[in-house]
Amino acid sequence: MSRIPTRHLGRYLLQGQLPRKGCLASSNYTPRGSCRVAASCSCSRCLQPFSPQATRAVHVSTSSAASPADTPIIPLRKKLKDEAKQLKKESRKNKAQKGSAQTVDGWELTVGIEIHAQLNTSRKLFSPAATSFNDEPNSHVALFDLSIPGSQPLFQPQTLIPALRAALALNCDIQPVSRFDRKHYFWWDQPSGYQITQYYEPLARNGSITLLARDGIAPEDGDSVTVGIQQIQLEQDTAKTLAQPGDARWLDFNRVGVPLIEIITRPEIHHPRTAAVLVRKIQLLLNAVDACVSGMETGGLRADVNVSVRRTGDTATGRLGTRTEVKNLSTIKAVEDAIIAERDRQIAQIEAGGSVVGETRGWTLGSKQTRRLRGKEGEVDYRYMPDPDLGPLLISEDLVRHIKESVAHLPDRELDELVDRYGVSAKDAVSLMALDNGARIEYFYNVVGGLGKRLREAEGRTPQQPLDLELDPDLKKYAPLAANWILHEFGRLVTDRSSPQDDETAFEITPEGQCARVPVASLSELLFHLHQKKITGKVAKELLLALYHGNVGEAGGVTAAIDAHDLWFHELSEEEYGALVESALEGEDRVLKEFGGNKKTYPQGKLMYLVGKMLRLGPTERIDPVNAEKAMRSRIEELCGTSA
Amino acid sequence: MSLHVRLSRLNLRLGAAPGHAQKIIRTQIRCHHHYELNHFVQRAPAETTAVGSKPGTTSFRLAVKDNFATKDLPTTCASSILAGYSSPFEATIVRQLRDRGAVVVGKTNMDEFGMGSHSTHSSHGPVLNPLSEVPPTSAGGSSGGSAVAVRVGDADIALGTDTGGSIRLPAAYCGVVGYKPSYGMLSRWGVVPYANSLDTVGLFARDATAIENLVFGTKLDEEHDPNDPTSLSTNFRTSHRTRQQQQQQQQQQEKGPIRVGVPLEYNIEELDPLIRTAWSDAANVLSDAGVEIVPVSLPSTRQALAAYYVIAPAEASSNLAKYDGVRYGVRGEESDAAGEVLYSKTRGDGFGDEVKRRILLGSYSLSSEAMDNYFIQAQKVRRLVQRDFDRVFRIENPLYDAQQFDLSDMSDNVRLEDKLGPSQVDFLLCPTAPTFAPRMQDLETQTPVEVYMNDVFTVPASLAGLPAVSIPVTIRSPAPDADESRKVAGLQLIGQYWDDRRLLNMAADLSSRLATSS
Repeated sequence: MSRIPTRHLGRYLLQGQLPRKGCLASSNYTPRGSCRVAASCSCSRCLQPFSPQATRAVHVSTSSAASPADTPIIPLRKKLKDEAKQLKKESRKNKAQKGSAQTVDGWELTVGIEIHAQLNTSRKLFSPAATSFNDEPNSHVALFDLSIPGSQPLFQPQTLIPALRAALALNCDIQPVSRFDRKHYFWWDQPSGYQITQYYEPLARNGSITLLARDGIAPEDGDSVTVGIQQIQLEQDTAKTLAQPGDARWLDFNRVGVPLIEIITRPEIHHPRTAAVLVRKIQLLLNAVDACVSGMETGGLRADVNVSVRRTGDTATGRLGTRTEVKNLSTIKAVEDAIIAERDRQIAQIEAGGSVVGETRGWTLGSKQTRRLRGKEGEVDYRYMPDPDLGPLLISEDLVRHIKESVAHLPDRELDELVDRYGVSAKDAVSLMALDNGARIEYFYNVVGGLGKRLREAEGRTPQQPLDLELDPDLKKYAPLAANWILHEFGRLVTDRSSPQDDETAFEITPEGQCARVPVASLSELLFHLHQKKITGKVAKELLLALYHGNVGEAGGVTAAIDAHDLWFHELSEEEYGALVESALEGEDRVLKEFGGNKKTYPQGKLMYLVGKMLRLGPTERIDPVNAEKAMRSRIEELCGTSA
Repeated sequence: MSLHVRLSRLNLRLGAAPGHAQKIIRTQIRCHHHYELNHFVQRAPAETTAVGSKPGTTSFRLAVKDNFATKDLPTTCASSILAGYSSPFEATIVRQLRDRGAVVVGKTNMDEFGMGSHSTHSSHGPVLNPLSEVPPTSAGGSSGGSAVAVRVGDADIALGTDTGGSIRLPAAYCGVVGYKPSYGMLSRWGVVPYANSLDTVGLFARDATAIENLVFGTKLDEEHDPNDPTSLSTNFRTSHRTRQQQQQQQQQQEKGPIRVGVPLEYNIEELDPLIRTAWSDAANVLSDAGVEIVPVSLPSTRQALAAYYVIAPAEASSNLAKYDGVRYGVRGEESDAAGEVLYSKTRGDGFGDEVKRRILLGSYSLSSEAMDNYFIQAQKVRRLVQRDFDRVFRIENPLYDAQQFDLSDMSDNVRLEDKLGPSQVDFLLCPTAPTFAPRMQDLETQTPVEVYMNDVFTVPASLAGLPAVSIPVTIRSPAPDADESRKVAGLQLIGQYWDDRRLLNMAADLSSRLATSS
């Protein structure tokens, strides 16, 4: 599959450059644009790294008010720990409560979601400093990023490309004119005292996203549900806070000014599961069009949900109930859980004769309740003001048209292909596409390609022609096998207790779909032998584990390893199967009687019992259960004259 | 032609001109260093040659207002919150002038962050006017230090910023030339912002010709700065130079002599009678020289001051939000959370009263309940002010498509020249300030709003982004007990957008005619 990386597209559109990677490989490729910027950097615009002064700690008493906007992101590891702790606490408190329904009788839930996603760009929104992930703190900071007096914002046009791709993937109307506004609040991760966003005139409006049953929406929503996207706006990310012992915080300004898009849906979601599916699908879409850097788990995506309830009888008035906002949900599960908890809290409040107060609430992973962060009185007046340094953003139709063509291949179409042509189940297809930020599915395509090539060679078909995988008529025969292994057997690997604990990260799949631990070539070789029944499933699983642990390399590849340990499947001959059937039937006359006469249903269970006995009695590594069953079945037919 | 030759020629001419110019020089000598004028916050160590200047240029002394980022000297904006702050980079305009031979002699005192009309709101103490030792008198503001530096001869050229009159007002009070270019001509990169949409980098000199030579002779006006998003593009600069020349030629053929408008709305009650006389004298001098003088009307003038004092503080409240002491600047010993809200202690201690007043004003006018009634209304007034100017100028505003002005939309006060509408002019002539430089003692009893009144004549050109220049004019019959500060006033010339070169020409011409006529 060819997806054009955003940076290439951006270079092409804005600077007329084609990537020199791949067939035009050159070692020291510097884009022309960056040369120009380097020249203008002579007045120390780009401070890399910035003086240590930049990392001065902020002393704030932890008891001070929570962030008026986005609270700093807590590392996932800590969140998971908190989650575990919270779960323990909750289960001790009430064991009785179990599961939550998607609906509550007599009540209607309404949810709108705001999603913040980091754009996949090489530059910050308003400075030429590089975007980075986990680099040395404060190593990518321009003067403007620190709000150094006298510095000014410089819009980086290449950040527009991924934003436009995202907006078009969500069927939005790109606004020919949009503008930047300042949103004011004080917080240490916001060096200028305001965030530049698009409040009055956003980048894109009036989009929509369709969620299908196979995406996993609540059954109450039927086959599909379409949710409107009110607007998409460009804005700046904040700095990263690194908590230190005591009252100190350290600030990493690498993230400050990194471009984000905020996607605001209309309040058209009525079931918690559907809300979670929407977030997951948007994440998938953003990944598919290469608009977004990373998923929720690495902090690349955050969601706020607006929740309100009203009695079913009140729906005629068209007025929604008072809404509350639950901020900073960082996993997809948290979206669903938080909505359920907030819905139930609001209903309980109203049923107890009270009323819902418009306020901002928070959510701890794994908890059962939302908690109040601040009410209306604690709300900050953001004093939105058009940024006087930044001109309007004018986007031509040409650019929109060009990008529209490049985002044509959307996940729903890819999913259809996986089901229709590859024969993968819808559930597996969704999982393949969602895992590892889209890397898993690329790995899948690579393995299927390798496997198909070997199969065609084995069958003596010309291997040159069928480069287009999707045209292979036999695709459905072997692709599901690959899908099964890449999803489920891989899943077992990671949870395997004997896995090396020290280097979890080593099991990584690159965006191009390569994996160092289990190379594409090795897995397709292994699956080829399995598909050809040259090895048993049991042996194949052991080989995969050996591959994962790096124990196959010494033997010189999968085939060599099978040779070395003589793991080939030497199946029993027909006579040997016959002998085995006889010995298995010994003393089983009573069971055999079950097959006699004209029973309504064939006693499959009894047959399997006998096959099982064959497997126990015979040499397991030489028996194919399918052939064993065949042999047993035909022998019984001979004896009893029954057929299934 | 090198700058040195031009500057020396200029000095020769000044020396040769009897009366006016010699008087200025005498004054300089007399008042120099008699008492502490406090116009520098930091003097540079003595330097003899310009560092980094291009070959072929001759050095000149440059004073730099303290809100320009300089690498070798601290940049404090006369604020305690930036005490001792040293910028990691240098403002584009400072580099451009160094390239042209500037030797920076020091950073000049000002009103904190440019907020003030008398250079009194400074953490370094007030600037005093060199024209009057007793009683102590305002030097004008906010670029008071730069005006004084030029006046007393410490600098040949001084850099200032003009947001609502901050160059023209001190120029008028101190008797020097102050020039505010068209918005977007000179780079703001490295200029600490007060109100970005109004802040304009400008220059002081003893003579309009010196400024014209520096800005146009060395092609400063053609240099776009890619670091400043509001700097006009190279394309605009080159294409409009040729377009404007064509327009002018065509117009001179069609409509004859230069026409100067006298805006009727500027003849306010508060205008000092002596300054009013100087204004009409200047109009007469021009008229004698063959310039056509016509009355014009700018009906939105009266709302302009109010609009300015909504827009400028609004932008200021936003711009000054960055001073929290975390990354630079002064920070208290206590926790950042000390006080009522985050940073309130640091900011409360660091900012002066006038800055706090404007932050509060701006925060209010941007608040969700006041936004529509103040900020939005003020922006509408701003557009009306700009349309007023476009209507009276003969040359079209290059930033906008040609506009139609319907006679029925015009105020009844507008005098029609013929049935086609009111006459259109090349320049506007008006006083720079309604009064002479106020005494320090009187300022203490004035309310902030009374102080803001000083900007009434300078604010409209700022709102419209138009070029304006203030030139000194000698008062013909001052009061018998008047000191030097009562013997000079400022006259302001305003031109159409990007008509800066002709404007400076006109200013030089008017200056020399005034000098010979008095």
